[in-house]
Amino acid sequence: MVPKRNPEVVWRLEKGIHEMAWDKARKDEEYEDLGVLTLMVKGSIHQLNLVGAEIWTRINGINSVEKIAAEIGALFGWEAVEAHDAIIEFLKGIAERGWVEFSEKAAPASPKWKGH
Amino acid sequence: MLTHLASPVTVNWGITARCNFVCSHCFSRLDRSPELSGDDARRVVDILAAQGVMFLNYGTGEPLLRGDLFPLTEYAVGKGMKVTMNSNGSLIGPAAADRIREAGFHSVGISIDSADPGTHDGFRRMPGSFEKAVGAARLLRQRGIPLSVSSVVCRVNHRDFPALVSLAKELGAHTIDLHNFKCSGMGGLNKERLDLSPEEWKGFYEAAVPLRRSEKGIDIAFDDPILSLLGEEEQGKLVAGSVCGKLSLYIRPDGEITPCGFIPVTIGHILKDDFGKVWNDSKVLAHLRTKAAAGKCGGCAKFSSCLGGCTARAYAVHGAWDAPDPHCWLGD
Ligand code: SF4
Repeated sequence: MVPKRNPEVVWRLEKGIHEMAWDKARKDEEYEDLGVLTLMVKGSIHQLNLVGAEIWTRINGINSVEKIAAEIGALFGWEAVEAHDAIIEFLKGIAERGWVEFSEKAAPASPKWKGH
Repeated sequence: MLTHLASPVTVNWGITARCNFVCSHCFSRLDRSPELSGDDARRVVDILAAQGVMFLNYGTGEPLLRGDLFPLTEYAVGKGMKVTMNSNGSLIGPAAADRIREAGFHSVGISIDSADPGTHDGFRRMPGSFEKAVGAARLLRQRGIPLSVSSVVCRVNHRDFPALVSLAKELGAHTIDLHNFKCSGMGGLNKERLDLSPEEWKGFYEAAVPLRRSEKGIDIAFDDPILSLLGEEEQGKLVAGSVCGKLSLYIRPDGEITPCGFIPVTIGHILKDDFGKVWNDSKVLAHLRTKAAAGKCGGCAKFSSCLGGCTARAYAVHGAWDAPDPHCWLGD
């Protein structure tokens, strides 16, 4: 299964906060409440924490759920099953909000060249 | 809740103070500031893009009067920004609508204040402006350009808004922004005639909020912190009170920065000052982000969410940032 972002969702990583959250995570301090990534959807504004942001930035219509789960697991030092379940849960939540949709296959990668 | 983000999500930019209308409520008709040159305008875009500003909204005068509107927009879109504008629609014919699409506008807001042509034309003080606005909205939608309808709620339309919502829906708007009346600029001069009493604001919102909940084909947006009084706008709110200086900023035509278009207090200049420093260190912004409860706000259970309501209105009427919003209907 491959998640793809809704192109109507406008988002950015919060300058400075992303680094601050990683700094805290590395020092085993609380980082979960920091808004690391801001999304604007239909005029309303939302934030994701560090884990959500790391998942969101890996959603590109090419990476499968398994690949994202493996990367996130490695990043945060989670067991494979734990990571997979957490990512599925998160993706389900944001799919319900219409922020992502799923396809069985990856979207074709865009060509690396531009011809005439 | 947060006090503010690392940089504004939205910058409202008066790219020109010129306008071909003189509307009864307009905050900027008394603004005579010169506009920035094309080169300086591009520098503004560079600065905002580097700060990660997501939305650039042209407001103030009529943006289509600015000769370099389209190349400037293409430049901003090329930098990854979503560009929107508010227009009275009078200058949008087929050719302009084509250029709006080509330039990559994210959405265009057309001002329509009543479904009744005579009421709209009277408020905008321009005969025939309703037909032009509706015509512009249709041209935009025919080209697939996302449309919003922008309306100022005041004495002339506060009971007729359901018809206005139906019109916006029929025009294919994704959103109707029901802006609350602000007593700045022309709005200050016409306050007695156009503003509602606190009780009337209560009546308006008590009728409009259920419509927002039940309406399916269009989003009804209010953006009024006073809605905390009805238990609205609390869930999922990122910041307390109004968004000015917390999620958004305003740049005047001459480049001066103010917390919002309705607060005429300069906190820096986009080309002369360090934008990040203005955003992070301005004493005015610090005050707006952490207002103290004054007067009746002191005993109000809604203060943590409402933060005294709209600072622009409080400042315009009472000359004090912390004064309670004059639209607040809670008893003194
Ligand atoms: S009393 Fe003050 S805090 Fe309470 S709702 Fe009115 S303006 Fe907001």
